[in-house]
Amino acid sequence: MLDDELHVHIREREGVAIIDLVGDVTTFAEEKINGAYNEVSRKGARNILLNFRQNDYINSAGIAILIGVVTEVNRNNQRLAVSGLSQHFQKIFRMVGLAQYIDIYQDEDEAIRGLTAAMA
Amino acid sequence: MSDVSPPLSLELSIPSEFGYERVVREAVASFARRIGLNSERVEDLKTAVSEACLNAIEHGNAQMPEMRVGVNCVWENDGLTIRVLDHGLKRYAGHVAPCIVCKVHGEAPPRGMGLYLIAQLVDTCGFETSPDGGNVLCMRMHTRSMA
Repeated sequence: MLDDELHVHIREREGVAIIDLVGDVTTFAEEKINGAYNEVSRKGARNILLNFRQNDYINSAGIAILIGVVTEVNRNNQRLAVSGLSQHFQKIFRMVGLAQYIDIYQDEDEAIRGLTAAMA
Repeated sequence: MSDVSPPLSLELSIPSEFGYERVVREAVASFARRIGLNSERVEDLKTAVSEACLNAIEHGNAQMPEMRVGVNCVWENDGLTIRVLDHGLKRYAGHVAPCIVCKVHGEAPPRGMGLYLIAQLVDTCGFETSPDGGNVLCMRMHTRSMA
């Protein structure tokens, strides 16, 4: 099986829980992404940033995982943003309607500014 | 002298295992760059081809590794045509817009966006009849949309 390797790393910056996603976001990513989301939520995160890096491949199964995260974010009254997506995947996120639920920023710094301004 | 170029083609065959669609997307992307698609259209094509292969692996061939998914690409003067073929163990069709609100509220499964994405990313797409009974998804990108 050609399983994808997704590296997930959690950190915090200015009150924002950042989940770095390095690699491919496909069906194989479900456990890692949900695990990271559950971990930051357990620690009380209200603002969560999915920071995409080097993601050459995000498919519909990966998008479905993100929809599941959006469902939980809405249920838990959290705020979700993404950064670091290529222009192509920003287009895909808008195409499927995810942009209605997720703030899309070009990079991490812009996302932190946006999320901290919303917190103020 | 005719200014019509002979068609260029690429044929691939992969086992029905998730992950092999990445092999196809890289090969098709390389072919598309070679024939001159711009980078944005190459990205569109990569996603469309990946999704078509995922459907063929998951539905058409029910993830039975010994069943092959075929991918044929033909470049002619009026554009690029890509066909993805499977064994038709399950029929699938339609590319309605996903109801994101329904999905987020748990009223519809989060999956099921592949055909919709394909329809958005290529110029035309549709299923063809296969004499072997399999699914044949035909996708086209016209020359005029590639520049």
